[in-house]
Amino acid sequence: MSDNTCISCGMPMRTDEEHGGGDANATHCHHCSAPDGTMKSYDDVLAGMSRFMIDSQGVDADAARKMAAGMMAKLPAWKDRG
Amino acid sequence: MVTRTERKTRAEQKMETRQRLMDRAVRLFSRRGFARTTTAQIARAAGVSHGAVFMHFGSRDALVRAVAGEIGRAITDRLHELAADRASLRQVLRAHLRCIEEREDLYRNILTELPLLPNDARTAWVGIQSAISTHMAKVVRAEMRAGTLRKMPQALLFNTWIGLVHHYLANRELFAPGASVIARHGRTLTNHFLRLVRSQEEKNR
Repeated sequence: MSDNTCISCGMPMRTDEEHGGGDANATHCHHCSAPDGTMKSYDDVLAGMSRFMIDSQGVDADAARKMAAGMMAKLPAWKDRG
Repeated sequence: MVTRTERKTRAEQKMETRQRLMDRAVRLFSRRGFARTTTAQIARAAGVSHGAVFMHFGSRDALVRAVAGEIGRAITDRLHELAADRASLRQVLRAHLRCIEEREDLYRNILTELPLLPNDARTAWVGIQSAISTHMAKVVRAEMRAGTLRKMPQALLFNTWIGLVHHYLANRELFAPGASVIARHGRTLTNHFLRLVRSQEEKNR
């Protein structure tokens, strides 16, 4: 996985602004960033990714949640979680 | 002792072999589809041992996931650029179709074999479509604010477009036997879709 892919949601970070807190060294993206610049919690990221699929494609809420959890299970920030 | 230069060369060789496996996998998946392509055929085409596929990708599923991811990245990178450049919806639709046309056989095989592809690849595909929808939404919102497009939910606008494009791709033998369905019908589909979503005022101009 590229260094410029968010460790939390897998989004490619193509510009500095897309990194958490606008910090090019941050390994998480602006979507996965809490207001203080730190990475959001698992539950918050899960909710955000589910909402992304619901809003963009009208995916069923449970189906979106399952897919988001599946995606997150492969990502560095969450793969060792439970 | 391994020198720094030798280590770099080995890393480069590893990258080259990985890329060659990806290239051959893309070629075979495009030509023969996923179900009829084995890892042994990919290894043979790349001129490496069968084990090399698993050394570089871990599993066949991971290779399929990587191929789906690469095509998705190529499309979303292009649309991301256009959305950032404040392109028009027509420009975004045309770029989307051009990206598909450049790898139409592979795209069509992913589409028609999707229910049988590994879970990871299927989930990645949904993520890619969501990213495409989101890039489209950026230019759509600007055009809705300007009053040139009818107001409608992002998901319905995207599903209307992708439903149309995917129907033509999945049934290529009906719409463009032995040829590129995007090359033959892309312009018609783009014009039709824009007529559907344009506001009445814009149509009257």
